[in-house]
Amino acid sequence: MKLRVSWLLAALFAVLALAASSREPLAQGALANLPRNETLILENPEGTIKNAGWFNIWAINAGSQSNGLQQAALDTLWYIDPNRGLDGVWQNSLASEKPVYNADFTQMTVKLRRGIHWSDGVEFTAADVVHTVATQIKHKNMRWSAALTLTVDAMETPDPYTVVFKLKKPNSRFHALFTVRWAAIWIMPKHVFEKVEDPLKFDFNKPVSLGAYVLHNYDPDGRWYIWRLREDWQRTTIARYGKPGPKYLAYIDPGPPDKRVIAQMNHELDVIHDVAPEGMFTLAKQSKSSVSWFKGFPYAHPDPTLPALIFNTQNELFKSRDVRWALALLIDIKAVSMASYRGAATISAIGIPPTGTHPEFYHAPLQDWLTAFEVDTGKRKIKPYDATVGRQIADMLRPSMGEQIPTDPKTIAASFGMGWWKSDPQAATELLEKAGFKKVGNAWQTADGKPFTVRVVVEGESRPVMTRAGSMIAEQWRRFGIDAKVDLAQGTLVTRRAAGDFDTMISWSVETWGGHQDLSYFLDSWHSQFVAQPGTPQPPRNWQRWSHPELDKIVEDIRKVGFDDPKSLELGREYVKLVAREMPIIPLMSYNVFTVMDTTYWTGYPTADDPYTDPVPNWGNSRAMFVRLKPKT
Amino acid sequence: MRSYAKYLAQRLAQCLLVVFIGINLTYAITHATPIDPVEQSIAAVTAFGNTSPEAIGMMRQSLRELYGLTGGPLEQYVNFWRRIAIADFGPSLSAFPTPVSTLIARALPWTIGLLVTATLITWTLGNLLGGLAGYYQDKRSLKIFAVIAIGLHPVPYYIVAFVLLVMFGYLWPLLPIAGGYGMNIEQGFNATFALSVLKHSILPALSLMLIGLGGWFLGMRSLVSNVVSEDYVVYAELAGVDGRRILGSYVMRNALVPQVTGLAMSLGAVFNGAIITEQVFGYPGIGSLLVSAVYAGDYGLVLGVTTISIIGVSAAVLIIDLVYPLLDPRVRVA
Repeated sequence: MKLRVSWLLAALFAVLALAASSREPLAQGALANLPRNETLILENPEGTIKNAGWFNIWAINAGSQSNGLQQAALDTLWYIDPNRGLDGVWQNSLASEKPVYNADFTQMTVKLRRGIHWSDGVEFTAADVVHTVATQIKHKNMRWSAALTLTVDAMETPDPYTVVFKLKKPNSRFHALFTVRWAAIWIMPKHVFEKVEDPLKFDFNKPVSLGAYVLHNYDPDGRWYIWRLREDWQRTTIARYGKPGPKYLAYIDPGPPDKRVIAQMNHELDVIHDVAPEGMFTLAKQSKSSVSWFKGFPYAHPDPTLPALIFNTQNELFKSRDVRWALALLIDIKAVSMASYRGAATISAIGIPPTGTHPEFYHAPLQDWLTAFEVDTGKRKIKPYDATVGRQIADMLRPSMGEQIPTDPKTIAASFGMGWWKSDPQAATELLEKAGFKKVGNAWQTADGKPFTVRVVVEGESRPVMTRAGSMIAEQWRRFGIDAKVDLAQGTLVTRRAAGDFDTMISWSVETWGGHQDLSYFLDSWHSQFVAQPGTPQPPRNWQRWSHPELDKIVEDIRKVGFDDPKSLELGREYVKLVAREMPIIPLMSYNVFTVMDTTYWTGYPTADDPYTDPVPNWGNSRAMFVRLKPKT
Repeated sequence: MRSYAKYLAQRLAQCLLVVFIGINLTYAITHATPIDPVEQSIAAVTAFGNTSPEAIGMMRQSLRELYGLTGGPLEQYVNFWRRIAIADFGPSLSAFPTPVSTLIARALPWTIGLLVTATLITWTLGNLLGGLAGYYQDKRSLKIFAVIAIGLHPVPYYIVAFVLLVMFGYLWPLLPIAGGYGMNIEQGFNATFALSVLKHSILPALSLMLIGLGGWFLGMRSLVSNVVSEDYVVYAELAGVDGRRILGSYVMRNALVPQVTGLAMSLGAVFNGAIITEQVFGYPGIGSLLVSAVYAGDYGLVLGVTTISIIGVSAAVLIIDLVYPLLDPRVRVA
């Protein structure tokens, strides 16, 4: 008996040792009945979907959005790529040309592409566009009901391939509603929805596609979705760039970051949406087949989003520009970069994310202005900008990261950012004293003699990188004698942000197109007409509740010029200068996403060397990746 | 018999009171949450889209009406109990308009399947080995097992789960580390699906068993250690009764009664779900559903899951109370 048990144990250890030595993932086979070399497996960052069988994207948050539905199955009029684009950042998708406005921006005409078909064979026409808008105006609780009700007065279809929108008031950016940055108003199939009595209660299962893929199978428990390339993919808009490489797309929930790393090492996950910096470093070191946006440090793709220290400017303490500037000058951005992204951050001193085409349009041309820019501390004028901070971060990392740190100044600027504000406690002291604050012992007091207490609201474990940034900033303020405390919001962040229940917060109120210089995407909402009274909810995105007459003028002037008008770039630069002077938010860095791609089965992923699109797989734009991916031979 | 009927009525009334208080407490707590489901929905809609502040104002009002949040607190409370009475928890606010009951019905079988199986196996193994270890106190193999069980018992669950993940997901990738079954397999009564479910449940079940085994083992071993010194056991041994019979019929059977109580409590708690297990192993179930509902401020769903849990635990306690006098004749109800 003892002998038999020994033999069994020996056999078991032999199998385990063999498995370990071969590093062949025996657990594979997760994809039953699908050829692995024809399947691209991507992470859906929405996780496991509660309501898996719901594909009606026009109902608010009823089902998943980035399970492949918006990337592979739906389509709309235009796309703006956050990077360079397949043939430029602007893509006419269902529209055959750019939007045409009348002189006073009260009418927009759209010419539609011909020969595009829904997956059930019905041709796409202007009737689909009109039905998409009319349905959402008629049913007030749909995703874009409010936006369309407020803007669209009437629609006309002079022919099946032309739609004329008559607007309720001048709106030079109306087309943005139908232009994909991450998403947009997707076009619904009229021939399906016109038969539905209540579109809010219709699950649209099985979805009829306008994109190149159709639903093949999905998990009723919401962990995976599989999409199959249409037989007639040539009758979709993406076909003009060629045949998509993968026959199947599997969008899955691979679980927490550590499991994503394991899954990619086992070659069971081709595209990781995001991992913690530590996970990225592990993959860079141990997985030879994994690639990222940058070849080496900082690896991550910078999203056109600007994490910042946001002041609640309706709080008495932060109404003073001097106080806001003092707090900015107490930040050592190099330490914040190390604490948050372990150095893999792309910093920005100005109110624009350093990503896409922005460095070319904003950061680089404004370097001279920033270097000459002065702040009056009340005792002297200082020049706070240090154009070498990006380079300093690279130098700091080089001893430990070696060759992974670039040496070329241009690459350093693209990877780590350009300059930032010098840490200057003496100037901060002078600015606080100018605002009436005083230091008693080791502690700062406000002008009315109370302790200078600042809460820094952070999201917590669900966003660890930003939480670490906030903790480091609070620590730096504390060292200076300010009673700074980290306030963990966890799931309440969204509610508290809207309610204005914070002193300062790590979040973002700046999101841009990335690939286009126009700033109206976020800036229009910063007009003072939208600033809520204290105690009432603030609409996105001016979470700082900041208003300024000069800002209003800039926003109003942008509204009067066309989207591509060079004047909008000039006005954008005026905005940058105003934010630098007033500091309503302290810009920190771009939102770097550690998207990691496995080249075991697929090649041709977008990278900084070939930035044809955004690799982050939940973006609508990531469909551009499908046509460039090739099976690895 | 009459006294038993009185006892039954008392226990039933107690159970109903516990359920009523529990549900009310949950209602109060969930409605005091600082998370506003409307703001969560708006944030999700606007985070990636170009929506004007005017439109947001309009959307905010529409969603309040749609989610039924416009009435006064009393009206909402009365409506809640009216729906509970017909087992309708209303629509989920984070998966609107899908009913909460549909989401729970989809998740519950996974949790019950995993936890009931793991609990029963753990309970049986733990008690069996614990009983043997208490009776055959000099057996070396059982002593070694006791050391392992005692050693594993206090280890935090997530450490054990993570070690299993790394061992069998990465070092020896023998088992799947996420999901309830493989991709592209049709759910249904077929061998492929059943095998896939079995394969996917091994790691989560093993993690629960490794941690749970020690408790049952130690409990049973100490119970048996006490029982073996009882007079009737000594008498049976002196009378030459077979050792196996003494262990099975005299010792373990008597020691098992409190363990049965523990089992019933554990089975009742199955309805709470195994939040960490489901999160770590990406296993579908009621625990994951509850966590996502809390983060989304979906108090309809939180209330639904919690109510099921309260009823499950209360029902288990009630069943124990009712069955106990029948199991153990030493317990009298009069």
